Amino acid sequence: MQNNIYPFAAIVGQERMKLGLILTVINPAISGMLIRGEKGTAKSTAVRALADILPQVEVVRDCPFHLAPVERGAVCRDCARPQCRETDTAARKIAVVELPVGATEDRVVGTLDLEKALREGVKHFEPGLLAAAHRGILYVDEVNLLDDHVVDVLLDSAAMGVNTVEREGISFSHPARFSLVGTMNPEEGELRPQLLDRFGLCVTVEGSRDAAERVEIMERRAAFEADPAAFLSRWAEPSRQLAAAITAAIARYPAVTVAREWLFDIAACCIEVGVDGHRGDIIMLKTAKTLAAYHGRAEVSREDIEEAAQFALPHRVRRQPLQDIAREVRGPRPTAA
Amino acid sequence: MIAPASSAGPRPFFPFSAIIGQERMKLALLLVAIDPGIGGALIRGEKGTAKSTAARALAGLLAAVDAEARLVTLPLNATEEMVAGGLDFSATLRTGERAFQPGVLARAHGGVLYIDEVNLLDDHLVDLILDAAEFGVNIVEREGLSVQHDCRFALIGTMNPEEGALRPQLLDRFGLCVEVASERDPEVRVTLIERREAYERDPGAFARACAEEDAAVAARIARARAACRGLRLSTTLRGYIGELTMSRHVAGHRADLVIARAAIAHAAWQGRAAATVDDVLAVAEMALLHRQREALPPPPPPPRDDNAEEPSARPPDQSPPRDPPPAPMPDQDGAGTAPPPPPGDEAGDSLHAIGETFRVKRIAPVEDRLRRRGSGRRGRTRTSEKQGRYVRSQSCAECRDLALDATLRAAAPHQCRRRADSRVAVVIHREDWREKVREKRIGSFILFVVDASGSMGARGRMVAAKGAVMSLLLDAYQKRDTVAMITFRRREAALALPPTASIDMAGTLLRALPVGGRTPLAAGLAKAYETLSPALRRDPTVRPLVILVSDGKANVGLDGGNGVEDACRLAERLGQDARVRWVVVDTEEPQGVRLRLAHRIALALGADYFHVEDLRATDLVQVAKGQG
Repeated sequence: MQNNIYPFAAIVGQERMKLGLILTVINPAISGMLIRGEKGTAKSTAVRALADILPQVEVVRDCPFHLAPVERGAVCRDCARPQCRETDTAARKIAVVELPVGATEDRVVGTLDLEKALREGVKHFEPGLLAAAHRGILYVDEVNLLDDHVVDVLLDSAAMGVNTVEREGISFSHPARFSLVGTMNPEEGELRPQLLDRFGLCVTVEGSRDAAERVEIMERRAAFEADPAAFLSRWAEPSRQLAAAITAAIARYPAVTVAREWLFDIAACCIEVGVDGHRGDIIMLKTAKTLAAYHGRAEVSREDIEEAAQFALPHRVRRQPLQDIAREVRGPRPTAA
Repeated sequence: MIAPASSAGPRPFFPFSAIIGQERMKLALLLVAIDPGIGGALIRGEKGTAKSTAARALAGLLAAVDAEARLVTLPLNATEEMVAGGLDFSATLRTGERAFQPGVLARAHGGVLYIDEVNLLDDHLVDLILDAAEFGVNIVEREGLSVQHDCRFALIGTMNPEEGALRPQLLDRFGLCVEVASERDPEVRVTLIERREAYERDPGAFARACAEEDAAVAARIARARAACRGLRLSTTLRGYIGELTMSRHVAGHRADLVIARAAIAHAAWQGRAAATVDDVLAVAEMALLHRQREALPPPPPPPRDDNAEEPSARPPDQSPPRDPPPAPMPDQDGAGTAPPPPPGDEAGDSLHAIGETFRVKRIAPVEDRLRRRGSGRRGRTRTSEKQGRYVRSQSCAECRDLALDATLRAAAPHQCRRRADSRVAVVIHREDWREKVREKRIGSFILFVVDASGSMGARGRMVAAKGAVMSLLLDAYQKRDTVAMITFRRREAALALPPTASIDMAGTLLRALPVGGRTPLAAGLAKAYETLSPALRRDPTVRPLVILVSDGKANVGLDGGNGVEDACRLAERLGQDARVRWVVVDTEEPQGVRLRLAHRIALALGADYFHVEDLRATDLVQVAKGQG
């Protein structure tokens, strides 16, 4: 059924965007990525193609809130499906939940369960997109066009990983920790600063300027459209390898170490480029560790830290009012030997 | 049944005692925990400075001190009946009697009401909360219910000023206010990164490791609470507080009361037997930061009462460093250097940097009750699509956007009677139907018409004008407006920026705008009309705001006619369209002989007239008036 999604591994070029998405998948604590760029640069294709290479997580079977087994507790007591408590766990591919720009607030945060209310006369909470995205990826195409009040909701829940509902007769809260992945075309307006800060990473994509690469893009697209099944089977092995690399990186990540002196490099770099707050420092470290894990290393290297700065800082550099978002960020200067 | 909002999952919040630095913010929160009567705290600051983390960590401490005093979170999208309380649908259904379901305000009674991004809270909820906070009572008259209950709580709010300002009434309601910024010390930053990593690796273990320290803080709060009751301020100190607030031009008496209570709480926290000047100085800035007007004289010297019972431990000249006044909304660095002028420009043109930016007075478009499309936050409007925030419900004959919860509540009291002859659980009749009333803030269409003639280049006028336009642009950004820009110089006017939501593009354009040549003001106005007409045709509900920035010294007419006369004649015609609101920003030099030509144009347009120097929202009082 998902057979007609263009495979992630077959996307030509856009290496930074692809790497950023992979890092986001490996480490949800990075909290997602913003992809800025003009139309037709494979932004949405890449995000949708992720489904292909996503790892699995353990969930309570049939849980409408996608709780991890250890998260069972307060939510379950108030949940409309008490039978979940008894059932065992299941492995599940992490979800990519798409938040359409026109989504109503009820759909996003959840609402009163209509059927239960009418049939049984009881109030129950019907989970929305935020519950569906828990421990997964919430994807917003054209995130800069999202309605203000929906952005407020995202800020509310992204801040603490909890969705608090006080509406329609319902008082309820449930965990909602998700990676926020957004795409936008900056020509149509910028993001609000609070929302911008919620994206862990930020990349700017441009159409390829390499003639051979452009030809390759056209040819692959044509091949995919002519015979999707054949195309997919041709790319099955690279896709499987990528998925395996991601799974291996997830396993390796907790053991990745970093020398304390490099934390000072990170702090110095953030102070130097002028980053608001401390989220930049924290995300930069996580990104560096994730890069090390993905490259099969047990320790963070200087290159990891420099590369992490490119991902974690462009949208955090304190700007003059109305100045463009940085495309390049200088990495930390080498510390004196 | 759904229980009141409970802690979600076993993942504990970041512990209070593990927060590094941000001492003033922590102190403000502790003082509020010791004496909720202080009236709560507002934490303002840039993103990512542990504002929300600290506020939520406080919840853990409060629970340890007093199980009743909890921290209740108010989400921005709460509906009215959930905040004030309303009819309990399930209970009413069971008993046939109207049952009251307490709201957020009832749960916050005796504790703390926490609002994240409080500057984004909708006005209708702000009003509800202000009413309750003012009288300490929540009165519910809705859905056939008539209930009132005590409702005293401390308000804690966090906000990032980049997202917009807070209503002055709400601002004053917060007892204390602190500004937070990121730590500059690398050692502190590194420790902070390490703790965060440790917390995220295993939140449970991290919280357990901090449990002892948190418990110690909680115990100290409990001791301070008990000690508070026995503490009084000396008359000398009361006098000093009065002098302090007067010297800061603070309106009203709330600041005095807050400082007095907070000083006592601070003394109790320090374990002192009596409050001292140090206690007053430690808390005064927090009470004054959001209440003082612009001028900042030094504080009066502390009382030199030799036989006072509490000699000052510290000579007056060593009083703690003063906080800077609240930073104006936009970054002051707006006065950047201009890029070099584009090559090939004709002689006489000059390029000016963007002057200092500032927070502008509130300028609103023509208001109305039309149903609108659009999104933004300059004005509020009822919306006809199923979009926008569901704020309340109303009964309806034709129902397109059913408010199920309200409909059920309306039907609930009648079920015992109706159910007799039906097999469904809830029987809904037409008279129960309720529809959602939704509200969304709408942005405006703002058209800037900027004079770029040579006369604007004299004596830094263009620098100031660019600063003013930039300030208006920043304001437009916060309100999600669409902007367009027309510039006029030499013989013609040009639409330099077609309507766009990208304020950044407008800023770039403004920076590169050269000045030189004569002043075809009439052409500028004609171009404005040309730009407005299609916008009005496309969306008849749009209410554009046109901001004309000029010194009015028109010297090129439409067809070789007289500059000023042509402009005035055209202005009169344009001013007749009631859908468009005009604002004229006069850039004429305030010293020397003034021709006040821009004022004439403003009269003809029926425009609001400001001199460029009066555009600034100088202090809180003026902002309040502007909002009146």
